[in-house]
Amino acid sequence: MVLVLGAGCCFVKGYVVEHLLHFRLLAKLSQGRMFSFVSKRLSLMMMTKVCCFQRNFSSALPPLVPVKLPSKMETHFWYVLPDEVKSESLLSQYSELLSPREKKNLYHMQGDQFKKSALLARVLVRTTIARYQTNCQVNPRSLKFKKTIYGKPEVDWENGDKWCPPPLHFNISHTSSLVACGVTVNVPIGIDVEEKQRRLKNKILAFAKRYFSPDEVKLLTAISDPEIQRQEFIKLWTLKEAYVKAVGRGFSAAPFNTFTIRARVVKMGGFHHFDTQHSEASEIVVESSDDPENLTRNWQFALLDLAGSHYAAICIEKENSAGGEAGVPMRLTVWKTIPFVEDERVSGTGAVVPISGLIKQL
Amino acid sequence: MASVTGTSACMTSLSCSFKQTQVGRISSVNSVSLSINGKSFPSLRMRSAPRFRVSCAAKPETVDKVCQIVKKQLALPADTTVTGESKFAALGADSLDTVEIVMGLEEEFGISVEEESAQTISTVQDAADLIEKLIETKSA
Repeated sequence: MVLVLGAGCCFVKGYVVEHLLHFRLLAKLSQGRMFSFVSKRLSLMMMTKVCCFQRNFSSALPPLVPVKLPSKMETHFWYVLPDEVKSESLLSQYSELLSPREKKNLYHMQGDQFKKSALLARVLVRTTIARYQTNCQVNPRSLKFKKTIYGKPEVDWENGDKWCPPPLHFNISHTSSLVACGVTVNVPIGIDVEEKQRRLKNKILAFAKRYFSPDEVKLLTAISDPEIQRQEFIKLWTLKEAYVKAVGRGFSAAPFNTFTIRARVVKMGGFHHFDTQHSEASEIVVESSDDPENLTRNWQFALLDLAGSHYAAICIEKENSAGGEAGVPMRLTVWKTIPFVEDERVSGTGAVVPISGLIKQL
Repeated sequence: MASVTGTSACMTSLSCSFKQTQVGRISSVNSVSLSINGKSFPSLRMRSAPRFRVSCAAKPETVDKVCQIVKKQLALPADTTVTGESKFAALGADSLDTVEIVMGLEEEFGISVEEESAQTISTVQDAADLIEKLIETKSA
């Protein structure tokens, strides 16, 4: 460290401070199994890279493949399967993309699997947003995030490196086995993913009676097969979560029992093609018990079976605030990714199976 | 509800009345900002920097019970450390887990937690404090 300080380049100070911070944090992290080799690697790096005044610490990673912003009517959905990210060195490079606060949060998390998916969630959101900056190269590490007064995360463009704010909206969700990020332009988005095999600790109907709307309880009660009931419960939960996250005003602004989400069959229009398994398309709608009808007609939903292992719900606001044309599908593109390593467009494949909602996969 | 949060550790087991005295006698703290219902107020100049919370702290037994319920819900290994300071998010609780935990707490303590209050819970201590407040209100 003394060697680096003696170097005298104007960038060095920032570099050294960053390194010291990383070193201390990573040395602590190295106590956990996941980052076991990192502190050794870092001390070696500091000795050998004395003359390397890279300001961009993540330049060791290849550039991200840029992507065009979704158009106004499109939704982009990116996901990572933590089990596919095995390389310890890649994971340590990922952790270097995080802000000091994110690293600190990660340090405090318990459980390796959980920590890994939490890390990947931050990496996914940073790299995904960075991909869309085609006019100015944005380092995913330099992105800053803030929260609205209601607590919904958003990008803080003013305090970041560059002032290039696209009208981009995002939302993330993760389980220990899948990490996802949805992106739209101009309209709010909320997503939720849940393992298909998720079991409740409480009884489903007791839970539903406490938290869901009366109509939803009725629907679940009518299902006699406990396994189907459980699946329908999880699907409904993801849809309700996605809605609340899209609205972005927190759980208390839209308590779960004040709105009902249900599927409604629509007649197939002339030239809309829907990718649902059934011959009739079902549209998912939300009805609120204490909201004027206008507000709830604005939301569009999609429910997918993702990677064979998860239910994924996406909720976006329709562009036309008067409710829009009935029966217009959500245009959706889905990528499976390992940031900096590989991207695979999986929409239209077996990895993305629409369950309900009007969806057109691109 | 107005809350002033410093970084807190050692004061969690203190009783409410002691805390009130403590608040009055604070000296030399960094400025903190007071936020009520999400609106920020200009920072107050206080003087000392002890770790404190301006709210009644729950009894240790309540905190312990909450820890047990949390451990059970999240199926945490027996050797996991769960204390008042533990954040639900850091323990691996997602939103469904958190709601299940709140439901478990409602059943255990015979209370009803409104969504507004549930949203403010981020640590085990928060949950325990809220439970005791609700129990108190219920029996009042």
